[in-house]
Amino acid sequence: MITQVANPILEIHDLTVSYDQSPVLWNVDLSLPPGQLIGVLGPNGAGKSTLIKSVMGLVPPTSGHILIFGKELNSVRSKISYVPQRESVDWNFPASVLDVVLMGTYGKLGLFKRPGKKEKELSMECLEKVGMQAFFNRQISELSGGQQQRVFIARALAQEADLYLMDEPFAGVDMATETAIFQLLKEMTQEGKTIVVVHHDIHSAMNYFDWLIMLNLHLVASGPKNEVATEELLRKTYGGKLNLLSKVSELIRQTDFNPLKS
Amino acid sequence: MMSFDPNAFLIISTASLIAISCGLLGVFMMLRKMSMTGDAISHAVLPGIVIGFFISGSQRGLEVIIGAGILGILATLMIDWFRKKAKVQLDASIGITFTLLFAIGIILINVLAYKVDLDQECVLYGEIAYLPIDLWITGSGMNLGPRITWLAVLNLILVLGFIVSLFKELSLTSFDEGFSLVIGLPAGAINLALMSMVSYTTVSSFEAVGAILVVALLVVPPATAFLWTKKLIPLIKITAGLGVIISIIGYYFAYWLDSSIAGMMVSVSGVIFLASAILKSKKPNFKFGTKIADKPFSI
Amino acid sequence: MNDFVYFFTFQDPSIAFVVLGITLLGIGAAYVGTFSFLDKKALIGDAISHAVLPGICLGFILAGQKDPAYIVTGAFVSGALATFLTSWLRTNTKLSEDTIIAAMLSVFFGFGIVLLTVIQKTGNPEMAGLNQFIFGNAIAILEEDLLIYGGLAVLIIICLSLFQKEFSLLVFNPDYGKAIGYPMGTIRLVFNVLMILSVVIGIQAIGVVLMAALLITPGAAARFWTDKLGPLLILAALFAVISGIIGTYISFVFPQMPTGPWVVVCLSTVALISFLFAPKKGVVFKMVARNRYLRKSHREHILKTLYKALEEGKESLTIEEIYEAFPYQTQESINSIKSLYEDQLIIKNQNVISLSIKGKSAAKRVVRLHRLWELYLNEYMNIAPDHVHDSAEKLEHILTPELEDLLENRLNFPKLDPHQETIPRDHDEL
Repeated sequence: MITQVANPILEIHDLTVSYDQSPVLWNVDLSLPPGQLIGVLGPNGAGKSTLIKSVMGLVPPTSGHILIFGKELNSVRSKISYVPQRESVDWNFPASVLDVVLMGTYGKLGLFKRPGKKEKELSMECLEKVGMQAFFNRQISELSGGQQQRVFIARALAQEADLYLMDEPFAGVDMATETAIFQLLKEMTQEGKTIVVVHHDIHSAMNYFDWLIMLNLHLVASGPKNEVATEELLRKTYGGKLNLLSKVSELIRQTDFNPLKS
Repeated sequence: MMSFDPNAFLIISTASLIAISCGLLGVFMMLRKMSMTGDAISHAVLPGIVIGFFISGSQRGLEVIIGAGILGILATLMIDWFRKKAKVQLDASIGITFTLLFAIGIILINVLAYKVDLDQECVLYGEIAYLPIDLWITGSGMNLGPRITWLAVLNLILVLGFIVSLFKELSLTSFDEGFSLVIGLPAGAINLALMSMVSYTTVSSFEAVGAILVVALLVVPPATAFLWTKKLIPLIKITAGLGVIISIIGYYFAYWLDSSIAGMMVSVSGVIFLASAILKSKKPNFKFGTKIADKPFSI
Repeated sequence: MNDFVYFFTFQDPSIAFVVLGITLLGIGAAYVGTFSFLDKKALIGDAISHAVLPGICLGFILAGQKDPAYIVTGAFVSGALATFLTSWLRTNTKLSEDTIIAAMLSVFFGFGIVLLTVIQKTGNPEMAGLNQFIFGNAIAILEEDLLIYGGLAVLIIICLSLFQKEFSLLVFNPDYGKAIGYPMGTIRLVFNVLMILSVVIGIQAIGVVLMAALLITPGAAARFWTDKLGPLLILAALFAVISGIIGTYISFVFPQMPTGPWVVVCLSTVALISFLFAPKKGVVFKMVARNRYLRKSHREHILKTLYKALEEGKESLTIEEIYEAFPYQTQESINSIKSLYEDQLIIKNQNVISLSIKGKSAAKRVVRLHRLWELYLNEYMNIAPDHVHDSAEKLEHILTPELEDLLENRLNFPKLDPHQETIPRDHDEL
């Protein structure tokens, strides 16, 4: 059940990714429509983060290629925005909330230039959108997990992109905030932005997303929510890994050289 | 009180300049969790210094700085190569790289002993006390004052220029390297530039404080300052202030005990560091009772 | 040459003693170091080695001379203090481990330098002996020193051998150890003591600055050759002992040369050789494996080409037709055809090539694996038929007979692949 679209905003072609020579994502081939709120679902270790990271160029693909707005990543970086997992950084870093959100504007600023008044105003607006404006001067080490997550979302908003990729942005965020932020994301899609969110909770996913990508080491489904949210596909996604696939992965890991490298 | 001693003033101000340069770079090394890489670089530049010395015939040659710069970058690349290509874990990569390069440096000093007037002690702990008599005299015979002080001034200007112009990039790559890659910042190049500055600072300072004690100046003042603040700008300011304080106290203690000035500076910084750690430890404070860190509020 | 014979025949009992000492301390350091390497705490050894310097100096000041008992005790105490402070700072401050280790290392070393210069200024004639602790001088080890150093080394080796199980648990999974009732705190303490002791006994020979190498490098190098703990420890010890003896020999021949740097250079050479040439993990080995795989896959692609021609009713292909099937790979094709002919998988008649009976069976197997994998990708992983070929093109070369059976069973011995092409079996006629 994989729906391909015409004029996609993001196309992934036959993407295979390996860590330490063991494939963690097999032959993913999908295309995504613009202006939608897209959820990436799957069990732990299904390759959800890996998918987002390879779109962002943070992990090299073993084979396959990716096009964003029909172009290579390097020529469209300013139009893509990224929310990494909260655990990927050390929150003891000496920076204020505003400092971190300002980082979202660095891509457009370019080397050597300092952020000015315009960037600060934009960052404050983004903080307001996630309900963190009161904390702008606080040090990030003093925030709770959910608040840190919202700072990361605000930083992504400050990038003013057309495509947003968010890796587990709601981990540790309370229900009320989650709903408020989803409302915000929904409004953004109505303005034509595309938002891809790795999400851990199937139940809320069914409420929020327009389109679902279901992963379990390989692509189980990608399509409009109403069409792919079937019991059969959910069972395929969450009902354990393919035994034979795991064996082949193990075999590849043990060969002296990764044959999947093209 | 003591009367004004121009030599003491010269030594203290030179030591402060060196400590500030090291500390400023050290702040970013610490935030990148690369303090041990800094340690490795400061050991690893030794063969570069010796070879540069051998080629130029003096320890003032530009060759020495170039040699050390090359070795510093080579050390960074070696650590990277061990880690990525040979899949050796990071700590072991660092350990193997710096011990090998340092060992080669020591062997070269011994092999070239008749050609290179560089003894092991100088490499180890430098001698800033001789600074006032080591003068920079131009070809026409004009005396421009102590050579090492000039080197330290130049070093600080370059370090300041480097940090001010790349402040935003340095802080972002230190905080979230992945994000900096995503928005297209050349994180690798910035990292290499920082390592080059560390190597250059090591060479520029090694005559005064010794290659190994440079590490202390790179690591200890930033670590101490980080115990006192959560903000980046104050962190940098406190680090610089500590550099001056340890130079002053270190000098007078060394003078009093008749010992190595650089070694004493490091010892003083160590005492301040440990005292700060005790004062600022996360442990329940016996005097004030258990203070539970208040959970930061949510809306 | 005479030096060589004189040294290695151990005519001089003092040389025999030194070599024995180096051997023991090499084994001890390599043992402890390998555990701390596996624990990913290799650099703590570096911190401890630098940190013993002030202790050595204090021992010297208290004894007024180079008395091994005072020096060992002093070194042990300051090493222990540094270890304690490192772990205290780790739990009680927000500083990262890396910063703490670098800070402890340089502060202790700096203080050691202060003491060293203080001693220097006193003009004590034995001062020269103290300098040897910085870069090491194995030849200067005297028999009475050896009793202490050697005894401690034996103690370390015995301790580590007796409690190998406990220390493995400490390195591998301390929480589990705690859960099944082992006193992990005590085991960690004992291990730290052994670690400090191994540094203390090594510094006279290797020196404080480079002692870290004797702890880290043997284990890291040995790790490339084996995955098992026992052989790993033995190999690491062997590397350390060989390098130690070579280093000692060099400072015997050139008395000006400190021992430490040469030991480190030897060890690093062994490590570099391991990184490059060790089977399985070595860099060169991986390149060779890659080339072997590419050769194998090219051979099998030629078999497949011949088989497909057969499917289309052509009994044979000309060499030129095969070259054309693999543009830009003519040299590889020439080599593959040669080796396929040598293995009697193809029959060559002047310029015309066809499959032998053996070759047909081999070709069928490759085609079968290719098509089975295509079908699996299509049926189980929802991959469209026009996207399955590339993956199958690679996996057909590595799938084992066991996986082939599994695929056959899982797919229920299918007749056709997603492109409606026949999946060939051995008994099929063509």
